Formats: sequence, structure tokens, C-alpha cells
Amino acid sequence: MPDWFSLSWIPSAVLPPLPVALPLAMCAALLATAHLLPGRWPDILASLTALAVAALCSLIAVRAADAPLVYWFGGWTPRAGMPLGIGFSVDAASGWVAAFIGTLFAASFVFAWGFFEETHGHFQILMLLFLAAMVGFVFTRDLFNLFVWFEVMSVAAFALTAYHLDESALAGALNFTVTNSLAGFLMLGGIGLIYARAGTLDFEELARAVARAGRDPVTAGAFCLVATALMIKAAVVPFQFWLADAHAVAPSPVSVIFSGAMVSLGLFGLAKLTAVVFTGSDQVRGAVSLFMIGAGSATALVGGWMAVLQRHLKRLLAFSTISHAGIMLLGIGALSQGGTGGLLLYLVGHGLVKGALFMVAGILLATRAGIDEIALRGLGRGIEPAGIAMALGGLLLCGLPLGLLDQGTRILQGALLDGGHPFAVAATVVGAGLTGAAVLRAAGRIFLGLGPDPGNEAQAPSEAEREKANRPLWLMLAPCLVLLALNVAAPEEAVARLASEAVPAFMHRGGGLGRGPSWLPWLSLALTLVIAAFALGRHKLPRWFSRPVRATQSGPTRLLEQVHSGLIGDYVTWMTIGLAILAGLLATS
Amino acid sequence: MNARWRLVLLGLACLVLVPCAVSAIRAMPDFGADIAAYGARINAIAPAERHVANMVSAINFDIRGLDTLGEEFMLLAAITGTVVLLRGSRGEAITDRAARLPGRPVLPRAEVVVLACRIAGPITALFGTYVVLHATVTPGGGFQGGVILASATLLIYLGEGYAGWRDSVRSRWLDAMEGGGALLFVLCGLAPMLVGAAFMENVLPLGTFRDLFSGGLMLVENLGVAAAVTGGFTQLFLEFMEETREPDQSDDPKGENA
Repeated sequence: MPDWFSLSWIPSAVLPPLPVALPLAMCAALLATAHLLPGRWPDILASLTALAVAALCSLIAVRAADAPLVYWFGGWTPRAGMPLGIGFSVDAASGWVAAFIGTLFAASFVFAWGFFEETHGHFQILMLLFLAAMVGFVFTRDLFNLFVWFEVMSVAAFALTAYHLDESALAGALNFTVTNSLAGFLMLGGIGLIYARAGTLDFEELARAVARAGRDPVTAGAFCLVATALMIKAAVVPFQFWLADAHAVAPSPVSVIFSGAMVSLGLFGLAKLTAVVFTGSDQVRGAVSLFMIGAGSATALVGGWMAVLQRHLKRLLAFSTISHAGIMLLGIGALSQGGTGGLLLYLVGHGLVKGALFMVAGILLATRAGIDEIALRGLGRGIEPAGIAMALGGLLLCGLPLGLLDQGTRILQGALLDGGHPFAVAATVVGAGLTGAAVLRAAGRIFLGLGPDPGNEAQAPSEAEREKANRPLWLMLAPCLVLLALNVAAPEEAVARLASEAVPAFMHRGGGLGRGPSWLPWLSLALTLVIAAFALGRHKLPRWFSRPVRATQSGPTRLLEQVHSGLIGDYVTWMTIGLAILAGLLATS
Repeated sequence: MNARWRLVLLGLACLVLVPCAVSAIRAMPDFGADIAAYGARINAIAPAERHVANMVSAINFDIRGLDTLGEEFMLLAAITGTVVLLRGSRGEAITDRAARLPGRPVLPRAEVVVLACRIAGPITALFGTYVVLHATVTPGGGFQGGVILASATLLIYLGEGYAGWRDSVRSRWLDAMEGGGALLFVLCGLAPMLVGAAFMENVLPLGTFRDLFSGGLMLVENLGVAAAVTGGFTQLFLEFMEETREPDQSDDPKGENA
């Protein structure tokens, strides 16, 4: 029955609402019945739901290859050109991103098998809500609906962050809650402004209104507020401070989602709004180019530098996420097909790799009861497969020319070179190189016992942490390896063909995808190996060589560490400054 | 960064932000200058095509029903998150027995308080139900009515004491109510798809304009929301009440016998 298997009996017209409605229905049913369900049922149901969402989204993406699937809720199709209700508009790129999110959730549910067994399914309920909100956020074509899903994501995430309830978890969750609630207020303000000007919330109609308005403080103000909100979620400098506090303390299966999907979704939303809604305003495009290139480069460098300085493994990975978010932001700043296409591929590739790395951190927390790199020195013996996964993850992060992440990097670098931003290209090379070096250094120290004997330093400065070790190693390792394999095994030709069709549909504008020079990734790789080797072998180097290096880096390092103070007041101040810079650029462009 | 530096930096940022905000506000359409075309269109559509007198309900539960579905689940996420965090610090074991804090006296209720609560409780519940049922005719609906219904359960606490309240309100029923109500709302979206309509398309008979039974599917959705909100808020009250009864470790151990 070839017909049955090609799924052609499912009409495309019914598909778009299902990946949102299915996890919502499942989480409501779980809440009502969780106390009746025996043992592992919440785990099983949640994993199956996530897999079903991934499958549905893939089907949607395939069906949307020719034209976006448009769906009007409640049957309220636009009348006389005026949209009345809420619509979903799913192009192939959005469909594939949603399919990636479903896959990441399924992997995370398997990784967390039995981890949250005492919570009466509450963990699964919050995670399924998180999943539904993300898919809704990716599919919607209505600005207020986008805000609703943005907020559902935040509310579910706040509680998941604080799950461990120790002091650092509560502090991290509080910083996260305050900064991201501010992001919600800003976004709502921006929506109010643009609604006052356009009288509609539908992306297509908004785009027309923005093009009509020309140079206009109201639409520029709306963009400023909405973009800032999304960049707070995406942890762009100077809005990045909350991320390391929150991602480091959340339970590992949650960190997988935070770093793999939530942060980059902020950038996905920003890319969509820039390409679809605000593309008609030269004022916005000018400011976007300047701000995103500047902030993206700064984010890539600051995140990479901070990652190298960490010894708390999850904090290290969190800062590397900041760095990669900066690289992705550069893709928006390039304002071209290549920039956005590179960003979309990078988003998926980075999510797969970073998810796998957070799982390795979770494995260490569970089997070695520690997360401090120095204290774990040499303790990785016996779980070598995790070490191989970590090393591979580190190499892929810094630009090992293999798989999806590398493909995205090269397209992105090509777009930046074409756009005349050589400094930004240098920032991508250095940022990625630094994060890869940090991961490789940690892997070498933990799994090979490299580096100096720590002696008294072995005592971790942070509070002791561990996660429940109630599942076999292979069960934790399997989803981690699947994610890495998905990134490495993505067929390059097919992906390139897919991207060249999907990106113009995503941006509503034709054009081709260029490629950066193929030696650039090798440059980051070399940088990574040098830095990692220096960090691990510094104590064996002659004094005359290592002392100047230490002397030149200690000043800026101390300054950076002081700035990441953990105080909400400081964070809000920096956010205000970022907002002012963007507003100033918009006013003068 | 100390407070002074923070203020200096904030001041510098405001030097840019304030002029930008002023210029945006000055460029806004004047107050009341034009009635949005969308509002006029809704005012015409809701009575004619949905037989509904309350435009807010028509927008919330029909025309932009997906937003409300998202909001309902945002509430569910907030309540579930609160329950997870509060229970996490107290231990997961939930009992239907009222916790007693050693050393805290149980004050007997005055008879007049008991009587007032026994009269006001049912009336409040009745009013809540009224607000829920008249969602499509007068201001109100599932969210507002649900909160009123939940506060009616608090009158049981006021009148009968904590133990009496816990006897009449079971945590698992509340979970079932909250989850079941939310599930009903989602199913109101999915069920029309079985007959070939769109998600949350109003396929039920619409009834007569200004009648209690008007609006079709909106009434069912409101019942779902009301159940979810009642269950959710009562659950929240229950968890916070338990929280005030958490035995303090540093307490004088003698308090145990007091």
C-alpha cells in the first residue's frame, strides 16, 4: 500500500493546528489523571507525544515545500482583505525548525527517563506546554499570538529553572523571571504601538502598513521594543546576563531545551519579523544592520571569552550558547538570503550539538556527582563514551567541517563576507574557537586527566551539586549520541537543495545562498586546539612564555567577571543601555 | 556596580530613551481620532453571525479563540509551576489530612462568622455560576466566574476552619477539575475538525441573540475554562495554606507538646 505510507490520505489543510493542540491535550489529560497512572506512564506518553509532534511537523514541512500552508483558526478567513481571526502560516523552514524542536524534546524526555518520577507528571506537563508554545511561536502569523506563545514559554521555563530549589537555583530563576518578564512588557508595548499605526496584527498586513508608513517614529519604536524583547530571550549582549545564571542551575534535561531551542527561538522570531514584517522600512533595515552586526560580534566574543573562564561545566556551556547566539544574530544583521539561511541551519545544528553537550554534563552530574571541571579531573574514566561525545561536541562547536552546524557556519560566513563585514567574520571564527576550546579543555581534563594536579584547588567554589543516578548509562548516552549523529549525518546535498528553496519562502524574497571560504572553519579549529592545549599544558611551559599571556588577559578578565555580578539591578541597567543604543540607532538611521 | 554607577548609567540611557519615546508618542494617532476598522467589523459580525451580545466574549472565545487557549494554558503552567515549587520544598507526599502546626492554637469560630459564611458561601457560588453561564450575554465568562467560584471555597475555610476546608476540598479532585477543564477547551478546538470544520470553528447551533443559550461552542468553552480556573485557583489557595503550616525547623521542640 504505497499510498498509505506516503501519507497522502492526510489532507494538508488539517495539519497546522495539530502539533500545538496535541501536546496541549496531552498535558491537560496528564494533569487530570497523573496520580492514577502507574510509574513510567508519564514518561512514555510525553516521549510519544514529542515524537508525534516531530513527525507531524516534518510532514507539514514536506507539504509546505511548494507553498506555505496557511490556516485560519475558527474558520475566520480574511474578508475583503482584512484578517479577522488568527492565522498560522507555515513555510518549509518553519516546519523543519518545529520538527527539530519536537526531536529535541523527545531526546530530552528519554534522557530524563524516571528522573522526575516523584512529581506526579508535573515535569512532563510543564515540558509539554513548553513544546506546544514553541511550535505555536514558530507557526503563527499573528503578532499578538506570537506574544501569547512567548509568554507561555517563559512561564513554563521559570518553574522548570527553579526545580532544584537550592539557593543558586532560586537566584537564577529569579533573575530569569525578572528579566524575561521585562521582555514581555516591552513586547506588549511594541505590539500596542504598531497596532495603533496599522490597525491589524497579521504579519502580511503589518508588512504593508510598515511599507506605507515610511520613516515613522511609531513603527520604529515598535520594532525597537519587540526586537529588544526577542533579543533578551536570545541573550544578546548587553541583554545576556540572565542566561548563564538560569541555564547553569536548571536540571540538565531542561538545560538541553533552554540552550538547544529556547534561546535560538528568540533569534528565529527576530529573523521572521525582520524579514517579513519590517522589511519595507529602510529606517529599520539600516539600524538592524548596524546594531545586529555590532551586538552580534560583541556577543560572540564576550560569550566565548567567558566560557573559557568557567570551571562549572554547565555555566561554561551556557556562556558558549551566548557566544553562538551572537554568531546567529550576525546572520540577521547580514540582511540577506545567505545570512538568514545560514542562521536557520546554524540554529538546528547548534541545538543538536549543544543539547548533546548538556546531556554529557547531566551524565557527569548523575554518575560522578559533580559538575566542577577541576574537581572532576581524571574522574571520567569508566564512562569514556561520554568523553568521546563531549570531545566530538567540542570539535563540532568550533567548526569541524562536518555536518549541519558547519554547513550553516559556512553559508553565514559567506553572507557576511558578501555584505562587507570582515570584522564580523573574524568574530565568528574567534567566538566559535573559544567555545570549542573551553569544551575540549574540560573534556581533556575530565576524561584524560590532563592539566596540572589541582591540589587544594580541587574544592569547587560553588555548592555541591548532583542529579539522581537512577538510570543506566546507555539510556542517558543514547539520546546524546542520536543528537550528535543527526547533526553529523545530515546529507549536505539534500540540505543545500532544501535550504535554497525554503529560505526564499521564509523571507518572501528570492535569492541564492553563497558559501564562505572553506579554510575558515579550519582556522577556528586550529585556534581551538591551540587554546585548549595552552590551557591544559600551561604549567609545563617556560615562565617567560606564560607570564605575559597571563598578565595581558587578567585585566579584561577581571572586568568581565565583575560585570557578571548576579545582581538584577545591574542586569536591568545594562538592558536599558542596550535599549537606548538601539533606539538611538533607529532615530538617526 | 554600586547604586551610584547604576543611576548614572540609567540616566545616560534615559537621555536617549526619553526623546525617542516623546517623538513616538507625538507621532501616534490622536486620541479618539479614528475608530479602528477592526472594531467596527467585529461589532457587526458578532451579533449577526454568532448571535452574541458580549463582543469581548465573541473575540476571546471565537474570533481570536486560539489566544485564549494559550492564555488558559499559561495559567495552567503558572499554577503547575507554583505547585511543583511549593511541594518540592515541603516534600512531595500530599495527604488530604490538614497539617497542624504544633504550638499554634486553633481558635474556635464565632457563631456569627460561621452563619455569615454559610449564607454567603452558596450565594457566592451561585453568583459565580451565573457569571460563567451568561458569558455570551453580559460581561463575564469562565475566567471571571471561575475565580468567584474559587473564592467561594475560601468561605468554607473561613466558616468551618482549616480542617473542615481540607475535608471538603480534595487536592486530586482539583487536579482533575483543572486538567479536565483545560482538556475540554482543547477538545472544543479539535472536535469541529472531525466534521470537516476548522480548529475551534463554531459548529454548534447558535441559539437566539441575547438569550442565555446563545453562542454555541462558546458556552462549552466557557464551562471548560470555568472548571479549570476554579480547580486551579483552589489548588493554589490550598498549597499556600499548607505552606503557612510548614513546621519550622528552628522551632522550640517543646512546642510539639504544647
